[in-house]
Amino acid sequence: MKKALIKTLAGVTFAGLLAGTAQAQYPEKDLQGIIQWGAGGSTDTVMRSVTPHAEDILGRDVIMTNKTGGVGAIATKYVNAMKADGYTLLMGAENPQMYKVLGLADIDYGDMIPINVLARGTPIFVARNDAPFNTMKELVEYTKKHPGEIKTGSTGPGGLTSIVLAMLEAETHIDFTGVPYDGDGPALTALQGGAIDIMPAVLGAAIEHIKAGRMKVIGLVDTQSSPLLPDTAPITEEIPGFNKYLPWGPFFGVFVKKDTPAEAVEKLTAAYHEAAQNPDFKDLMDKRGFTIMNISGDEAAKFLDSYRSVSSWIVYDAGFAKHSPEEFGIKRPE
Amino acid sequence: MPHSQHSYTKPGETLFGFLMVVLSVFLFWQAYSIAGFESLSSPGAFPLAATALMVITACIACVQNLRLPSEVQGHFFKEILPPVVAVMIAVILLFAVVLDTLGFIPTALAFLFLTIKFLHRGGVIRTTLLSLMVLVLIYVVFRLVFKVVLPEGIVPEREILAYLSDLFNTGAQ
Amino acid sequence: MLEALQYFSMAWVSPQLLFLTALGTFLGIYVGAIPGLSVTMAVSILISFTFAWDINNALCLMVGVYMGGVYGGSRTAILLNIPGAPSAIATALDGFPMAQKGEAGRAIGLSTVMSVVGGFIGIFILAIAAPHISEFALTFQPRDYMMLGIMGIMLVGSLSGESLTKGIFAGAFGMLVGTVGLDPLTAEERFTFGAVELWNGINPVAVMIGMFGLSEALMQLHHLDKVALKQKLDRIIPAWADVRKYLSLSTQSSVLGTIIGALPGTGGDIAALMAYDHAKRVTKNPKVPFGKGAKEGLIAPESANNAAVGGAYIPMLTLGIPGDAVTAVFIGALFIHGLNPGPLLLTERPEMFWFTVGNLTLANIFVLIFGLTGIKLFARIVECPKGILIPLIFLLSIVGAYAINNSVADIWWMLGFGVLGYFMKLYGYQVGPVILGVILSRLVDENWRRAIISERGDLGEFFGQLFSSPLSIVLFSIITLVFVSQTPLWTQLKRCFKRPPRPDDSAHPGKSKDAAA
Repeated sequence: MKKALIKTLAGVTFAGLLAGTAQAQYPEKDLQGIIQWGAGGSTDTVMRSVTPHAEDILGRDVIMTNKTGGVGAIATKYVNAMKADGYTLLMGAENPQMYKVLGLADIDYGDMIPINVLARGTPIFVARNDAPFNTMKELVEYTKKHPGEIKTGSTGPGGLTSIVLAMLEAETHIDFTGVPYDGDGPALTALQGGAIDIMPAVLGAAIEHIKAGRMKVIGLVDTQSSPLLPDTAPITEEIPGFNKYLPWGPFFGVFVKKDTPAEAVEKLTAAYHEAAQNPDFKDLMDKRGFTIMNISGDEAAKFLDSYRSVSSWIVYDAGFAKHSPEEFGIKRPE
Repeated sequence: MPHSQHSYTKPGETLFGFLMVVLSVFLFWQAYSIAGFESLSSPGAFPLAATALMVITACIACVQNLRLPSEVQGHFFKEILPPVVAVMIAVILLFAVVLDTLGFIPTALAFLFLTIKFLHRGGVIRTTLLSLMVLVLIYVVFRLVFKVVLPEGIVPEREILAYLSDLFNTGAQ
Repeated sequence: MLEALQYFSMAWVSPQLLFLTALGTFLGIYVGAIPGLSVTMAVSILISFTFAWDINNALCLMVGVYMGGVYGGSRTAILLNIPGAPSAIATALDGFPMAQKGEAGRAIGLSTVMSVVGGFIGIFILAIAAPHISEFALTFQPRDYMMLGIMGIMLVGSLSGESLTKGIFAGAFGMLVGTVGLDPLTAEERFTFGAVELWNGINPVAVMIGMFGLSEALMQLHHLDKVALKQKLDRIIPAWADVRKYLSLSTQSSVLGTIIGALPGTGGDIAALMAYDHAKRVTKNPKVPFGKGAKEGLIAPESANNAAVGGAYIPMLTLGIPGDAVTAVFIGALFIHGLNPGPLLLTERPEMFWFTVGNLTLANIFVLIFGLTGIKLFARIVECPKGILIPLIFLLSIVGAYAINNSVADIWWMLGFGVLGYFMKLYGYQVGPVILGVILSRLVDENWRRAIISERGDLGEFFGQLFSSPLSIVLFSIITLVFVSQTPLWTQLKRCFKRPPRPDDSAHPGKSKDAAA
């Protein structure tokens, strides 16, 4: 606040006189970070906890602004409408990778430069405590006997729940009643109130409730077991068909527009790479069940491609894509 | 009180009522085109109910208007939309149009100066000082304290601020 | 017990924490008062700002901003008819008419004291009954939320002014505006006309600033030459007799506010509107009619929205479930500071509970102090010449609309709804029902559909469910009772249609409104 006040006083006095005289190397002014999701959400929290470390390294402030809407498409389009000078960062989650097949936008992360893919979440299946099943196998058997009776929370087409459910339905052909919620937070609350029976959610969002015994975990959608849930076997042991989709999970990353000068990209990549290694940040991510990735460049591009191809084909096969992934040259995963 | 139901129609009221009917019918049709009468839980169900209610009430209000005597001496551009209101609406419209290209500082300064001069009719110097004061206050609160990044337009604000803070930082060390 | 007291007083005895709470409250009042700056936004900024701080320091500052912010919304609502935040909409309905009569100082004084009373009741309920209330809040099923929304919508009856027909039109229009954008449940486009900018819908705050602030300022241009009213500034701190007289209403509103605040998915805005409705129903003979400056209409929403703060903390502290948008950001803040907000928070960090309660209490005391000082200065704003005040309101409306989401599109909406609101007011439509519709639209729409989908589209099953739990039965009975006894909808509609209102209707607003109320 004090700094801001000084800036103001100085700014008001000298503005105009000194315009254009500042010539230094990148970054010569404050940056702007556009967060795709609202205040208090996971994307917001992850970005606000890693960026201050990057600010220290860059030596400038990154002013973070939440620009919500259109499952992140508004923020993505906004950043792509700005100058490619490295002063506007997109701080987003996995959603843009589905824009093309869902017909939401004609750009995705493939058309941007990844600065850092920070971390990945693991999807899990949770159920209300008194549900008559404890594992994925039992869930499948129960649902086959009582088709349509199990109510699952869903969060709109293209979201994590819809994709994980599409995977499950493709492998087991079972029938649920999907009750829509606008986010996994409200859906997990409804699960505790008994309004729904099961819910696919990201580990981090449900872990505290599981630890407190307010809901039970019935499946871990990963190929390896998690240190946070040592007693839960990975889903591939129960339903081997999942092997072809995994590892898969929502992620968080920082991106800039294509054609941003190499100097800016290098500096930003270095800053975020170091920031993501900060022990505080690592500790935070571990506790919330996120797997730190901290990748950039080709490695990040490869991960993003693979995510896009798995998800796009899953939603296309499940029948809720507007366009075929083939139209955009997205290859079917082997 | 301008807020209350009156016993005669004001100038333009019949037209306004009619426009509301047209708007309601248009929106009803839009609501229908979301999902038709498919199911009670479709995304279009609630909008359909709301627009149906709008169509019904707009029609009633319109019929009521026709039954009332119209005001004899009233004039639309005197009682309903006096020039000063029309001008102010136009000025705000213009503000929104040029905001992105010109930037907040010049637009707001011009806006304040012109409107205060036009509405308050004070001296040029007093008006200028007043506008500057208000602008500085708003800029400090929104841009600097609460970090709302206002459109920069032609003024390279961030460069100036960065230069000044560098100047201050090196000066302090 | 001793431990609890020690944690409770942590922020009281440390000069640093005391100072930070005071600073937060002070800032919060201004954040709340300025339209477009929201408490959610301010707390997000503070997260970055206090990143490296000790958690207790950071929390003191943020709790202060929250408490002050919820209160601050009433300032501009009373003085300029621009509610600083949606939770102050109901305050504007009677607060602004008071200011127009030269009683701005008295209105602010009364709203401050009643906010503080509400705040204390909310905190008290949090302190003694948190675990029970949060379990109770979880039992609310989609159908119950839907009925809650319907109860709110019935308020249209009492906000319609002289014409119920026009009121229903405005309310339905508001509900429609609330549905614009990608449907949050199925991502289907509704009224977007292919524009991506409309996907996120029309922000209720933009509608609010336009319909209240801008349209009022445009109205005032009609009598520009009228000299601003001199404000009576003698009795600002309300008389004890007055406080005692309204204490019962304030308490009822506060309990209502706390419960609505504790429900995940409803916050201070809905609490304030429901409390206004409640006040209107229980006050049989107000001294001044509602909508024209009734003190009851000011007291109820102000008590309720501050009580909702304590309420919102209930599920957050006990279960890690946010009670409203601000507590959602608080959860993020706790997480960044290395805590694990969730049902185990109080097991792992037992001091958090009483520390927060103590902190809220302290912030509430600061609201009283800062709220009652400087009222004279604020009331004078209204005395400022219209030629200067109106341009200032215009600019504030524009910047406020822009600040919601850093987008010029919101300025367009603000302007559009402002101009529409201006014409609506002139032609006898009220703007209150529009904004009520916008706020409640999602609550009713989403939960109605969830409830129907849960019964797999079976309407009979759905109505059967309304009698399946005591809570649903109670809510359903309240709605039926209110509908039958107080809103003779059919007779009213017939009356409106058959014969034009009597010519003397506008002269005796109180009389004809009883029928609608």
